[in-house]
Amino acid sequence: MEGSAMTTALFTHSDCLEHETPEGHSERADRLRAIWKALEDPAFDALDRREAPLAERSELLRVHPEAHVAAIEAAIPAEGYVSLDADTHVMAGSLVAALRAVGAVVSAVDAVMAGEVKNAFCAIRPPGHHAERVTPMGFCLFGNVSIGAKRALDHYGLERVAIIDFDVHHGNGTQDLLWDEPRILFCSTHQMPLYPGTGEPRETGAHDNIINAPLPPMSDGAAFRKIMEEQILPALDDFQPELVLISAGFDAHKDDPLAQLNFDVEDFVWVTEKICDIADKHAGGRVVSTLEGGYDLESLAASTAAHVKVLMERGA
Amino acid sequence: MNDTPVEKMSFEQAMAELEQVVQKLENGQVALEESIQLYERGDALRKRCEAKLQAAEEKVAAITTDAAGNPTGTKAFDAQ
Ligand SMILES: [Zn+2]
Repeated sequence: MEGSAMTTALFTHSDCLEHETPEGHSERADRLRAIWKALEDPAFDALDRREAPLAERSELLRVHPEAHVAAIEAAIPAEGYVSLDADTHVMAGSLVAALRAVGAVVSAVDAVMAGEVKNAFCAIRPPGHHAERVTPMGFCLFGNVSIGAKRALDHYGLERVAIIDFDVHHGNGTQDLLWDEPRILFCSTHQMPLYPGTGEPRETGAHDNIINAPLPPMSDGAAFRKIMEEQILPALDDFQPELVLISAGFDAHKDDPLAQLNFDVEDFVWVTEKICDIADKHAGGRVVSTLEGGYDLESLAASTAAHVKVLMERGA
Repeated sequence: MNDTPVEKMSFEQAMAELEQVVQKLENGQVALEESIQLYERGDALRKRCEAKLQAAEEKVAAITTDAAGNPTGTKAFDAQ
């Protein structure tokens, strides 16, 4: 313990509101506003609140080819929206928001690796776990969490980094970006069948470095805990990660309109504690969590707040 | 999608569309925002197929046979 330095950092930026989406779109700026409001409660006074910087281009290039970055930049219109696919739209503020999102994760990794804070949460949008090497999709432009993991490996020389993705959708982008990365163990729970259609257990990565644990529609928190305890937590324990990242999507909550799993806030508390246990055992408690999905504002705010509360308790 | 309401579809119609729905979901050809509606459509189609199958099973179960196992008629209805 390094005394008062050890705490939980919150990385976010008002530019993440500037990525506006068309009327009625699920991935909207109000999501972030709802989270900020929940985190204004005095219970979160001890958070080390930091502004997310703009990510350097070199960070994007850890997982995306130059052509992808250039294509996103070129797609940004001066006014109005440009649709990259049926779900994914960009407008004038989108690039800066996306660079803040990546910058948040990169800086959170830096802060945790430097020992300035024990763990960190990145309240950001657009999310990242659907973005593939050259394909923006599912509301995502860049692979936020994958970039953070690669930085930990290549900048800090870590040998083993784990990513746990409990968003209700499969993290196809993370899987694509890290398929051939033996230093990363990527574990995903998700509803199947559901968007994007990938995430079968047989998809295990080039080095058995990916674990996909799908859940059928209507699965509840008990089913989630069972699959975590039987498959994912033991694999994480064996892997002995030196840093743990979380793709924290809260759209498996029972009230979420985009999926049919039936988790409640307590299930997110439970999994956060279990992940912190692994991090305490192997990684000096180092956890960086980053927001992915969650589209019912009330349950999103409550779930995120409960998740951050656990990080604070464990970071204290 | 078929314009026939699901509750009026034949088994073949419901099954054909269900196969399309499953294929779309599995191939990731569906938008994130529409995935859930498509799944719900699939669920309604699956229920229709199951109802039609169950009705057929009940009809088969109602067929009475003679001592040699030859069908002699049905309790509920007569084959046309
Ligand atoms: Zn999601």
